[in-house]
Amino acid sequence: MQSGSNVFLEGLRQFAPEAVPGWALMLTAAGIGVAIVMGLVSVNAIFSVWLERKVSGHIQCRYGPMYVGWHGWLQSIADGVKLLLKEDMIPAGADRAMFMLAPALVLASILGAMAAFPLMPDVFFADLDLGLFAILAFSSLTTIGVVMAGWASNSKWTIFGAMREAAQVVAYEIPLGVALLVPVMVAGTFNLREASALQSGMWGMDWFVMPWNNPFVLPAAVLFLVAALAETKRAPFDLPEAESELVAGFMTEYSGIRWSFFFMEEYAAMFLMSAVGAVFFFGGFESPLTALAARLVEDPRLIVPAAEGGMRLNLGSLPYQLAAGTTLLLKTFAGIFLMMWLRWTLPRIRIDQVMTMGYKYLTPLALLCVLGAGIWEAIRHSWLR
Amino acid sequence: MAVTPSQAAPHHGDPQPTDAQRAARKGAQHAPGTPLSQFGAERVLPSGEREVALDVRTSDMEINFGPQHPATHGVMRVLMRTDGELVTGAQPHLGYLHRCAEKIGESVEWLQYLPYTDRYDYLAAMNNNLAYSMAVEALLGVPIPRRAEMLRVICAELNRIGSHLVAIGTYGLDIGAFTPFFYAFREREWMMALFEKICGARLTYSYIRIGGVFNDAPVGWLEDVARFCDTFEEKWQEYFDLLMVNQIFIKRTANIGVISKEMAFDFGLTGPMLRGSGVDWDLRRDLPYSLYGEICRDKAFGIPIARGEMGQLGDCWDRAWVRTVEMMESVKIVRWCLQHIEPGPVLGDIPKTLRVPVGEVYVGIENPRGELGHYVVSDGGKIAIRVRVRGPSFTNLAVVEELLPGALVGDAIAIIGSTDIVVGETDR
Amino acid sequence: MDFQGIHDRLRACNAPGLLGIDLPRGPDPKDKKDKGRAGDPFVLVEPSKLASFLTVCRDDERLSFEMLIDLSAVDPAKEDPNFWVVVSLLSVQRKHRLQIKCVLPKSQASLPSTVPVYRASQWHERECAEMFGIRFEGHPDPRNILLPDDWVGHPMRKDYEFPKEYHGISCE
Repeated sequence: MQSGSNVFLEGLRQFAPEAVPGWALMLTAAGIGVAIVMGLVSVNAIFSVWLERKVSGHIQCRYGPMYVGWHGWLQSIADGVKLLLKEDMIPAGADRAMFMLAPALVLASILGAMAAFPLMPDVFFADLDLGLFAILAFSSLTTIGVVMAGWASNSKWTIFGAMREAAQVVAYEIPLGVALLVPVMVAGTFNLREASALQSGMWGMDWFVMPWNNPFVLPAAVLFLVAALAETKRAPFDLPEAESELVAGFMTEYSGIRWSFFFMEEYAAMFLMSAVGAVFFFGGFESPLTALAARLVEDPRLIVPAAEGGMRLNLGSLPYQLAAGTTLLLKTFAGIFLMMWLRWTLPRIRIDQVMTMGYKYLTPLALLCVLGAGIWEAIRHSWLR
Repeated sequence: MAVTPSQAAPHHGDPQPTDAQRAARKGAQHAPGTPLSQFGAERVLPSGEREVALDVRTSDMEINFGPQHPATHGVMRVLMRTDGELVTGAQPHLGYLHRCAEKIGESVEWLQYLPYTDRYDYLAAMNNNLAYSMAVEALLGVPIPRRAEMLRVICAELNRIGSHLVAIGTYGLDIGAFTPFFYAFREREWMMALFEKICGARLTYSYIRIGGVFNDAPVGWLEDVARFCDTFEEKWQEYFDLLMVNQIFIKRTANIGVISKEMAFDFGLTGPMLRGSGVDWDLRRDLPYSLYGEICRDKAFGIPIARGEMGQLGDCWDRAWVRTVEMMESVKIVRWCLQHIEPGPVLGDIPKTLRVPVGEVYVGIENPRGELGHYVVSDGGKIAIRVRVRGPSFTNLAVVEELLPGALVGDAIAIIGSTDIVVGETDR
Repeated sequence: MDFQGIHDRLRACNAPGLLGIDLPRGPDPKDKKDKGRAGDPFVLVEPSKLASFLTVCRDDERLSFEMLIDLSAVDPAKEDPNFWVVVSLLSVQRKHRLQIKCVLPKSQASLPSTVPVYRASQWHERECAEMFGIRFEGHPDPRNILLPDDWVGHPMRKDYEFPKEYHGISCE
């Protein structure tokens, strides 16, 4: 697939002098990609922390941060500097190596998951055929880091947090994946960009969640939302942290920059889950805005075959690419906002209720949705054709 | 050799194993070729087969819930024995906030002790002042001016609202709902501003004095109180909707920590804890003091009694419900007082150096958390012989020892939160 | 029921250990030093029979004191040879209260625990024991409650001397 080639690499090929060898270009392109992913995770954390504080503040009839910058927008950066400068504390009885490794593992796995996420239709880091699968697999790895953190801290509260995390994430991984199977069946692909492109009809409103596509996608979307909340440890499923029960759960003993890694992971996971939901349920890049932009530009592809052979960048498609990227970002943050809204409204449920809900209700319901969606798709493809 | 609990889980053993112990453990666990029987009991079956019972029993974990823990509402420690998420035993340890209030009571003069009463249940300082003043007045036998009684009741009931607001708000916090807490504090802030206007303090008022109240309400204060009542009645619905009828809240609190009527009597529970178990008892109505007899005759307020709507009678939800509804009844009492208050003196003729007649008396009044009793003994001098403080939080907390075993860790927080203790009062 | 009624009832059902009553009274006109006594009427009970006395109070149908509200002690003076153990009962059904007083010699400060009758007294007795050094025989959990386990002395006694230091922390 032509549009499947990496935009960073093609851009470098186009602008770099002839003398530069191909492997250097590859490495540089990879470096740019890694830098962007890391930047995305950090900036997302900074912005989301600020957003969370503002959202919670306004929900609770107060302002939230107001002093550092306009409406406190620099607050997270100030906090970040503080966290960087804090003393690096490792509890005396802790397993030092594991203690230090855990936040890194957590962050690394979410960075890995981020790599499968496309920023714009043609701007991405890794175009994987099993993109969704990669995201789910990588983000599951964070659990191992959390359990490691809980065990290595040598504190009883962290053990509680870690065990809860393990139990909860294992329980909700199933309905999460199964619920995502429903739109995947409709789309017929695991690739995020392809799934998004399939929803471009009707002026960008032909989303999988729309009942004419498949009526089982909407309930699957609800199931996905609940499971995603549990996967990302957000209220009402924030039991691994559960500050009023477990002090701070698995990260009780962490402070400073290591602690902030957990936060970066949490917000990155929220971002990813929202993005995955947006792509597989709510049209991804597609919206009336994207559709309009696609009609305005000559060729929506960013990388096109050059006349003299090879590839070239088509900067004329940038309005479309930007519109699509903005659309996905807005949808993602709408999802993040919804998660925040729920967090500041609902009480926390109990661990046995979490497990009951996961195993007894969500999993069977998700399976039912898959069954229904499968039958629906079979009918649509074989008999109604 | 069976694996001891400390080997199975290094977290459960001594906090700091020596290096030698660590090395020994490492060796025991990682030495290659360790026979399986090292890890469990081995026996030979009649058939000749070897059976190794691996020792994978879980061991109980003892965990200190507190003294610094977000859900202890102060500095209290509950030593919990847990099996996974299940609490199998609990032992409250008090005394972290013990400030010798009773000893101070018999070391300072009668009037000087009043500010110390603010500090037992610092969320309901007005009620504490009232309780102590009434005990001393019972020995003195002085008449209290009617306007002072009115102001006392207004302040006590406003403080009851404030105290219940904290109780409900922090209970939401324990359950994991943050927002009701801020809503509650928004109204409590207004209540504290009202108290600041009338006595200059926001937490420890010392406003209700022996013989009356410290000073008359400033101009416009009663109108402010009326406005507060109007707003509060509107806002009250928010707490009810956010917590009491929230499905997650109901799931977390209904059928949890059930206290039967008999158990409530046996443990001497009072206040919302007793009414939460369905006992129709309120000192304000049943053994009336101050103006409450008169207010009751006018049927100006009701006593909410739990009916076990969401589960068994006497569960955590019932207790929280009683507190929530009680706030509205307090508003009614305040309104009654605002209607009936008339100008007049507010402080009786009480000398600076008070000599209390010989005698001993027990006076208990209905505090937000239950019956706050003062048992005071005087030998006719300037200083008390004994000031015994019977704090409701102290007795109400005792029931926790009985309720926690068998609960989950999350429930334990719900149960401790539902007793609504103030550690200042348990420890005094 | 008023105090007189309660007292009559206690007499009628032969409450064990009932010694008499202590009523508030006005000053004696003959004795200028006597200033009378204000406050509550008390029932005086023999300390060794306090628990069985409370059982009667709880179980008697017309008294029906369901609740033990308070149990504490008083050290009236340094020279006084006795403690007072004071119990406050409350009946929800009959809406009356009763104050009970036991005079307990300091030299032999022990009495049977009332926990079997009212579990409410468990913590009150623990507090009483650590503060006054009164022993409650048969208490199920006789640990200190408010004071540290290694605290020396009984602070609420009038002859208590404040420690100069506690674990190396100066108290002066």
